[in-house]
Amino acid sequence: MPILRFLVRRLFQGAIIVFLVSALIFTLLRIVPGDPVRLMAGGMAPEALIEQIATEMGLRDPIYEQFGRYVGGVLQGDLGQSFVRPANGAAVGGASFDDSTRSERAKVLDLIAQTAPKTIQLALLAMVFALIIAVPIGVWGGLNPGRLPDRLALYLSSVLVSLPNFWLGIVLALLLSVKLNLLPAIGYKGFAYTILPAFVLALEIAPFIIRNLSVSVAGVMGQNFIDIARVRGLTRNQIIFRHAMKNSAVPLLNLLGVQFSMLLGGVLVIEFIFDYPGLGLLTINAVMQRDFPLIQGIAVVTAAAFVLINIVVDLLATTIDPRLDY
Amino acid sequence: MSSIDITPPRAAAREKTVSARIWHLALSSVEFRIGLVVFTVLLLATLFYPWLSGIDPLKMAIREKLLPPLFLGEGWSWAHPLGTDQLGRDMLARALVGLRYSLLIGISTTVLMVMIGAMVGLFAGYYGGRVDTVLMRLTDAQLSIPMIILAITILGVSRPTIPAIIVVLGLAGWPVYARVMRSTVMAERKKEYVRGAMVLGATDLRIMFTLILPLVLPPMCFVAVLDIARMMIFESVLGFLGLGVQPPTPTFGNIIADGRKYLMNAWWIATMPGVFLVLTLTSINLMGAALERARNAIYGGA
Repeated sequence: MPILRFLVRRLFQGAIIVFLVSALIFTLLRIVPGDPVRLMAGGMAPEALIEQIATEMGLRDPIYEQFGRYVGGVLQGDLGQSFVRPANGAAVGGASFDDSTRSERAKVLDLIAQTAPKTIQLALLAMVFALIIAVPIGVWGGLNPGRLPDRLALYLSSVLVSLPNFWLGIVLALLLSVKLNLLPAIGYKGFAYTILPAFVLALEIAPFIIRNLSVSVAGVMGQNFIDIARVRGLTRNQIIFRHAMKNSAVPLLNLLGVQFSMLLGGVLVIEFIFDYPGLGLLTINAVMQRDFPLIQGIAVVTAAAFVLINIVVDLLATTIDPRLDY
Repeated sequence: MSSIDITPPRAAAREKTVSARIWHLALSSVEFRIGLVVFTVLLLATLFYPWLSGIDPLKMAIREKLLPPLFLGEGWSWAHPLGTDQLGRDMLARALVGLRYSLLIGISTTVLMVMIGAMVGLFAGYYGGRVDTVLMRLTDAQLSIPMIILAITILGVSRPTIPAIIVVLGLAGWPVYARVMRSTVMAERKKEYVRGAMVLGATDLRIMFTLILPLVLPPMCFVAVLDIARMMIFESVLGFLGLGVQPPTPTFGNIIADGRKYLMNAWWIATMPGVFLVLTLTSINLMGAALERARNAIYGGA
C-alpha cells in the first residue's frame, strides 16, 4: 500500500516539525525578559510570594526539564492551563494576589476548542469569496496571455496585494457599516458578522490565486494536448473546463497549502480589527497578557494544522492528477 | 565594449548577461514604468518634503487640531494639505516620515532574509545528503509557524526597537528563499562548469561563492522586490498592533491605530496615511511583478 507508507512517512515528519516548533516557541518564551508570574500575581505582590508561586509552578526549573514536562503533557492531550484566564470566562484583570474569589484557570485546550470553530467558519467563507473573485479573473487572464485581460489581471492583483488588511478593514467598516448601514462589523452576534471580515480576508488572498491561476492556465493552454483537443473537435468550453481548469487545480491546491500561514496571519489581524472572537483574537490577547501556555498551545495546534493540511493537499493533488507520485 | 561598432546589434544583445536582459525586458513594460514614476515621486517627497516645508511631524498645535484635508469639509487650509490629527500635527509630514521608516524597515528586512535564505539554500543544495535533510526540515518547521505569530510573540514580550523588528521579520521570512535557492543550486551543481572546477581542484567554498552564487543570486533578487512590499505591510501591521516602532515616531501602523479612535468625526486620520501606503506598495508591486514576469519569460525562453 503506497498510500499507507506515504501517510506514515508524512505523519512522522509532521510530528518532528510540530516538536521543533514547540521547542522553538518554548525556549523563546523562556529566554525573553518579562516575568509572567509578576503579571499573574499583580504589581503589588511581594517578591517572596512571586518566587514561591514561580517555584510551585516549576518556572524556576531548568528549561529542558520544563519542556520535558510540557511534552509529556501534550502527548497525553493536556496543553496545560492558561496563566491568566479563569475557567468560568469572567473578565480578566486586576485581581490582586490574595484574591480568594479567583477561580480555577481555564484549560488551554478548551480555550482553543471554543474559538477555533469561529475562525474556521471565517477562513472557509473567506476562501469561498476569494475563489469567486479570483477564479474568473485568473482564468480569463490565463486564456489571453499578454493581452488586455492578462494585463487587467496583473494590475488588479498588484493593487489588491498592496492593500494592507487592517486599513482595508477600517475603510470598509466605515463605508459599509457606519455610512451605509449594510452589514454589521464589530463583535459576533450571528453569521452576518462573519461576512465583512471574510470579505476583507478574501481580498487579501485573491491576488495570489489570480496570479497562480493565470500563470498555470497560460502554461496548460500552450500544451500539445490542448491543440489536439481542438483538432478532436471539442468546444472551447469543454477544453477550458475539462482540460485547462483541471490541470491548473493542482498548482492552486499547492498554493493553498503553502499560503496557510499567510491566511492565519491575516485572520489574526482581521479578528483583532473586527473584534471577532476567534483564534486570532485569542492569540493577540495571549501575547499581550504574556499567557505563555496559551501561546505555546496555539503554536502547537497551528503547526499541527499546517502539517495536516499539507498532507491533505498532497493527497488531493494525487487524486486529481494521477501522474503525480506520493 | 569596443566590438559593438563592428558586430550587428543582435549579437550584442546575446552577449548581455541574464540580469541585464531581465532589466531590459522589465523596463520596456508599461507597468514597470508607471510603478517607477510613482515610486520615484514618493521617494523624493519622503526624502525632501519634511525638510523643505520645515514642518515638524511631531509639533503639536492644538488650535489647528482635526483640520480636514483640502476641499473636504470645513476649515481646511493650504498649510495642511492632508489635514491635521487630534493634536494638530500635520498629516502629510507624518505620513511621509512614516513612509521613511516603512521603506527603511522593508528594504533592510528583505535584504536580511534573502541573505539568510540564500546561505541556507546554498549549503543545503550544494552538499545535499544529511546537511540538506537537516536544513530543510528546519525550514519546514519554520514555514509551519505562521510568521506573524512568531513576530508578535517575540516583539510582544520584548521591547520593539527598529533593529529588533528588522531581525525578527528577517528571521521569520527566509524559508521561502532557502527553498528556491536550494532547488536552483541543486540544478547548477550537476552542470559541467561545476564538475570542471572540481576537477581543477577548487574547494567547495570557492565553487559555492565565486561560481554558483553570483549566477543564481541576481534572478532571486528580482523576485525579492515583491517581498519589500510584503515586509512593509508587516511592519505596518506590527505598528497597528502596537508592536512596531513606538510613538511618538510616526509610522503608518501607529498613525492608523491612533486614528481609529477618531474615525467617526475625523475619518482622514486613519484613511489618508493608508492611501499613501497603498500608493507606495502598488508602485513597488507593479515593478516587482514586471521584474518577475521578465525573469520568467527569460528563463522560460532560454
